[in-house]
Amino acid sequence: MELKELLKKVVMLGDGAVGKTSLTARYVVNKFDDKYIATIGTKVSKKDMQLTKPNLIINLRLMIWDILGQKEYSKIRTASLSGAQGVILVGDLTRPETVKSLDAFWIPEIESAVGKIPTVLMGNKYDLVGNGSESVEVLESIGECRGYPTFLASAKTGENVEDAFATLGEMLVADVVASRPKNAEEAPQTLSEAVDFIIQDFCAQYGDLEKAMLIVQHQFEEAGVDIRKPSREAVLQALEGLAKAEELSLTKTVAAVNLEERQRMVVLAKG
Amino acid sequence: MQRDVKIETLIAMSMGVFAALAVTAFLVPFENDNTRIFFVALSAVLVSINVFGFIMVWHASPTIIDEIFLMTPDGRLLKHYTRRLKPDQDDDILAGMLTAVQNFIKESFEEAGGRLKEIRFENYDIFVSHSKSVVIAAIISTKKPEKLRTQMRLVTDDIEKQYGHKLLNWSGDKADLVGVDTLMKKLLAGKYR
Repeated sequence: MELKELLKKVVMLGDGAVGKTSLTARYVVNKFDDKYIATIGTKVSKKDMQLTKPNLIINLRLMIWDILGQKEYSKIRTASLSGAQGVILVGDLTRPETVKSLDAFWIPEIESAVGKIPTVLMGNKYDLVGNGSESVEVLESIGECRGYPTFLASAKTGENVEDAFATLGEMLVADVVASRPKNAEEAPQTLSEAVDFIIQDFCAQYGDLEKAMLIVQHQFEEAGVDIRKPSREAVLQALEGLAKAEELSLTKTVAAVNLEERQRMVVLAKG
Repeated sequence: MQRDVKIETLIAMSMGVFAALAVTAFLVPFENDNTRIFFVALSAVLVSINVFGFIMVWHASPTIIDEIFLMTPDGRLLKHYTRRLKPDQDDDILAGMLTAVQNFIKESFEEAGGRLKEIRFENYDIFVSHSKSVVIAAIISTKKPEKLRTQMRLVTDDIEKQYGHKLLNWSGDKADLVGVDTLMKKLLAGKYR
């Protein structure tokens, strides 16, 4: 299983006071006060998410730039938009004009600054309006017309907030595929080859080679693995230890997927 | 020796010592003028050696970089190196905010052109080096490092040459940066060319 770490820049845009900051606050790691949006025009926060694809686990880190919504500050906005790879456009469903301005102002503004990039529309304060409201219809028609996923959300209740970010995350990695497709001929044939492959794979995913090798050494000693002539049982036991280490350094999902794949490799290996 | 002691302070201290010795030489009742001149000359030589030594030590002592942020111009953190553990600090967010501040200053002083190159806050200096697709910000708390500016310029240019084509429209894949650690660690060690 290949592991990729991706870092993407995402911007939150929309008219002033539509709830961009509140939507972000529900979802992300905040380290700076909201006052920075008013003072320097931007506040940066982040969100980590994990996405799985065939033979690939993607640890996606979204750097979320919450940008001042006042339309007059175009220079700061353009500078902050630089390098953006995704956009969440927010309108306030209780103020139809803020929804209309997404199509009339914000989308052209983004396209002129960074071109067409993955975009998600969010209508905030859905808890305060009904399904048939004018704003909802306008937002959905913009989304349909432009081909953007549309979410009727509420920063207050949290409804659809996570889904909107998750959808944008999936759009951002839509083209990402595993760079080393599985090839049966390249798979380790003997138990020694399997052990060698597992050590390399563990070290590569752990990141810090020195520490990774210490963990491998410790787990192999604990399980009684003789590296020159490994026994299947001992290796399988060591894999459990490596998986526990990966639960701490990576995530439980990645550790479980890796464990399953390595166990299969060891069981199928000859010798 | 305290790393943040300025060379001017060291020279002033040495001159103070010389003055004290010279005054003493005139106050002490020597047997003759030759002895007095010898004592004053000896004091001057000792102080000169002292000043020369201080200057040599000051020049030889490396600039200690506390932290380095290697970033894209749009504020994404590529690599972060630090000598101190800061559990409350989120490096990615800090890199983003540092870029946001740079954008703000650049736009606020648009008529001046150019980019932010230095920020000073209490004992900390933040030096920023830019290229087309890379930004390096180094935080130091030691003496003013003239050599560091040159080294940062060199490493920025080298990273631009080696990785610029990947970073210009960077996909966000950190695997694109294999090998950059070697360059950055040389800079951290003060041994970049």
